[in-house]
Amino acid sequence: MDCHNEECSRPQEEEDIMDIPLDDPEANRAAAKIQAGFRGHMTRKKLKPEDKTEGEEVSITGDVFNRSVV
Amino acid sequence: MAPKKDAKAPAKKAEPAPAPAPAAAAAPEPAPAPAAPAIDLSAIKVEFSADQIEDYREAFGLFDRVGDNKVAFNQIADIMRALGQNPTNKEVTKLLGNPSADDMASKRVEFEGFLPMLQAIINSPNKAGFEDYVEGLRVFDKEGNGTVMGAELRIVLSTLGEKMTEAEIDALMTGQEDENGCVNYEAFVKHIMSV
Repeated sequence: MDCHNEECSRPQEEEDIMDIPLDDPEANRAAAKIQAGFRGHMTRKKLKPEDKTEGEEVSITGDVFNRSVV
Repeated sequence: MAPKKDAKAPAKKAEPAPAPAPAAAAAPEPAPAPAAPAIDLSAIKVEFSADQIEDYREAFGLFDRVGDNKVAFNQIADIMRALGQNPTNKEVTKLLGNPSADDMASKRVEFEGFLPMLQAIINSPNKAGFEDYVEGLRVFDKEGNGTVMGAELRIVLSTLGEKMTEAEIDALMTGQEDENGCVNYEAFVKHIMSV
């Protein structure tokens, strides 16, 4: 399936890499669990070195804006 | 985009997981409930020791940037994470009574209101352990050699579940990919769980 036509806006390599089960509720649930673990880790990691500094700027989704250098 | 094949192949990941934590993901539901009904926080029995409560109060206080002994709804998830929990954003939203986006930014909760929420998360039967994370990532281990492509992982993290931003993903993946762009996911999970 070569992308010869202009309608193929998605980069070919993304589809080649994998078929992402976007609609699979189990896959999404598993992903959400993993992401929750990752977010927990990142929040704790940020709070650690600076140790009890100001609380972070967080968005509605819990994204941390003022990330320091990792 | 038209899927080349059925998106059923990765489903096997949920079944063979004899994880220590109850494998809630193994239950094949037709679709996840959209916005779960709000929880009755007053029914939750808070079972923390005095020492724990003091620790939690201290963490809570760090997030209070207004000085009213409260924190905003949109800080709750991070306070819980700071205290060692890994709630999904959906779990927190549910605990907060499914607030609007405006509410998330403007409404505040005091420490006593926060405690039952924290208790609920701590009591949650869905908590993932090492095996859960490894099993989840193993799905993408095409060659069965203990690694996943960093690029694949990035795509999954940004398109599935509770999508992560590029900045979040970069922060997460820093130093995790080898020279071939591959991630040893067991080591990765150990690293994640070490903090």
